[in-house]
Amino acid sequence: MIALSVAAVLALFIIYTSIAGAGTPQIQPSQLAAQHGDVMLVGTVVPGMSGDAHQGGLHFTLEDDGPANAARTHVLYTGSVPDLFKVGRHVVVEGTLRNGVFVAKPGSLVTKCPSKYTPAKT
Amino acid sequence: MAALGRAALLLSFGLAVYALVAGSLAARQKKRRLALSAQNALLSAFGTTLVAALVLWSALARRDLSFVYVAQHISKSLPTGYALSAFWGGQEGSLLLWLLILTAYSALAVFLNRRNRDLVVWTVPVLAGVATFFAFMLCFVSSPFETAAAPADGAGMVPSLQNPYMLAHPPLLYLGYVGLTIPFAFGMGALLSRRTDERWLVATRRWTLAAWTFLGVGQLLGAHWAYVEIGWGGYYAWDPVENAALMPWLAATAFLHSVMIQEKRGMLKVWNMVLVALAFNLSVFGTFLTRSGVVNSIHSFSQSPIGGWFLGFIVMCVVFSVGLIYWRLPLLRARTKLESLVSREATFLYNNLLLVALCLTILWGVTYPLLTQAVRGTTRSVSKPYYDFFLHSFGLPLLLLMGIGPLVAWRRASLRALGRTFFIPIVAAVITGAALIAVGLGSSTPGLLAYTFSAFVAASIVLEFTRGTRATGSLTKLVARNRRRYGGYLVHAAILLLAIGIAGSSAYQTVREKGLKQGQSMQVAGYTLTYESIGTTAEANAQATRAVVDVSRGGKHVATLHPGKNFYPVENQVSNEVSIYHDPRNLGDVFTIADGIDRNGTLFLKVLVKPLVNLVWAAGFVFVFGALVAMWPDAVEQRRLAVRYATT
Repeated sequence: MIALSVAAVLALFIIYTSIAGAGTPQIQPSQLAAQHGDVMLVGTVVPGMSGDAHQGGLHFTLEDDGPANAARTHVLYTGSVPDLFKVGRHVVVEGTLRNGVFVAKPGSLVTKCPSKYTPAKT
Repeated sequence: MAALGRAALLLSFGLAVYALVAGSLAARQKKRRLALSAQNALLSAFGTTLVAALVLWSALARRDLSFVYVAQHISKSLPTGYALSAFWGGQEGSLLLWLLILTAYSALAVFLNRRNRDLVVWTVPVLAGVATFFAFMLCFVSSPFETAAAPADGAGMVPSLQNPYMLAHPPLLYLGYVGLTIPFAFGMGALLSRRTDERWLVATRRWTLAAWTFLGVGQLLGAHWAYVEIGWGGYYAWDPVENAALMPWLAATAFLHSVMIQEKRGMLKVWNMVLVALAFNLSVFGTFLTRSGVVNSIHSFSQSPIGGWFLGFIVMCVVFSVGLIYWRLPLLRARTKLESLVSREATFLYNNLLLVALCLTILWGVTYPLLTQAVRGTTRSVSKPYYDFFLHSFGLPLLLLMGIGPLVAWRRASLRALGRTFFIPIVAAVITGAALIAVGLGSSTPGLLAYTFSAFVAASIVLEFTRGTRATGSLTKLVARNRRRYGGYLVHAAILLLAIGIAGSSAYQTVREKGLKQGQSMQVAGYTLTYESIGTTAEANAQATRAVVDVSRGGKHVATLHPGKNFYPVENQVSNEVSIYHDPRNLGDVFTIADGIDRNGTLFLKVLVKPLVNLVWAAGFVFVFGALVAMWPDAVEQRRLAVRYATT
């Protein structure tokens, strides 16, 4: 009986993932060129923002997290901007690359809380 | 002072190691005095950990910025209440809180069960093993007592955490998480000592219930904080950190129910061991998730080496649990067999299956980015649609089971009897469904199903109470004599309120966003909101900008709301300050967010109308009340159990 239930759950699972797709890729600006379609772009906000997210769109630039990497992506975003959004923050935004500009899905910008659990001092 | 803290933690570590080693030896070789010595070491570890905790609290209260931890998490101007709560605001402090609560719980549990010697003799080393890990981390990897030259002022506390809910949310969660260690240790102790009868369940029943209640309330508080403070309009985002608390809670829910079957019919013994181990391991996994930065989350923290240690500990715990259960499998043979798929035992089995299925799908969703990264090289993640699908697929049947389970007969239920028992609840459900469709609420299938199932469950709960009251003559006598059962029904009622509140505020919510000039209005779900004016005032540590929004319904003014933003100069941060109108007529909220205010004074107002959302919070109160009733000590029951499990 348990075997039947487990099989049922797995079947439900497989049906779901085959219909709804298996997740959205999370990538950094340096990997963006190789991707098509909807992705979640992860990066750090660099100085230089313009526009308004409610009128016309907010323009900002993301670069890779971690070790210095020249890859940068121009993002055009409309919708709610989280409080914590500013230069230097880690953000995640969903959208698609179109003609060199990453057009974000409205309202999909998420800013990570500034790190409170810092790495142990060596 | 920091030196005192470090010394106290080293002592805790030493005592924990001693309790682990000596305790294991004493249990194996049946050395009573050594066992007592190990027990005392474990109890003393609470004392030393308390000293360390007091050192940290005193440093926070005194604003002693020579403590690196203090300088990182508070500022001189932070109110004392929040300064003290910074204890658990960072990694090192939160680990110390874990150890403090663990040693406190262990001391209490061991002391209360000291006469149950055969069981406790093995429980002590298991508890000590967990304590050893946390003490080790605190002493050698992540110490809260690092010192440095004191800076001019501390880094301050993130404004969104300066909120009364944040004073209560982490400690309550921890009282829950850590509390699951006690039934786990007793379960493993039962396996090690070969006392796999119901003794360990009886010893830990209230512990499990208490931990489960704390974990549930902690989550509700966190959800409420997110709702009013972060203010995106929701209260749960399926974020890994949120899921980290939900998963052990689901496993604990299954465990709580499943033990009843072992007590009454001697079945599901393996299930119970697996469930308690699952709950504990998920609780440690949750602790790992929120600290290691290993999964991208809105709460994500930088990659921390502590993650590696935690992962190792989790692997060890999983191997230990699985290995021990497998080794003692012959002792977990059921006393009786499942006689029918339509019986109380069977519904509890379905309950286990559904809860574990939901728990595992959430676990899969949380670890999916890690797995895809390891297997395919790119990180992929899942989000709300994935979780919602499985919440509906497993949650709705669970809701229905809540109404079926209590009314189905043991062993084998005749279909005719079922028909009689469920006649009224089914009628209630059908009538509710028809009424809702007639009123126009058939738009959302999950919402409609949630409401109809809730009607079914509500009817069955009411029936149980009325039948019982008729039998005993008085409601209070009924509940007093069957606290566990009727307390449980009250908790079910709370879950009902929760389900209705969630369904109303998600399936039937309306969201609209508009740019308004002063004097302009917008219409949302029958409400008219008019942007009147805007102004800025200076508060204690922030500049508060607030818009004045008039809310009316059917032409009549009902509320004035003040959504806006605060700017904190010290922390150089902006925070969203939402304004909510609680409408008594539909128990819902009109939730307003000042999304943006541009230079021309145009307000971008986002409005969410969330029917019935206040039931979610009301559910919390009923939940606690029901749990207290179920937990309340019962002298009659204690005497009966003492006779049954009389120990030498």
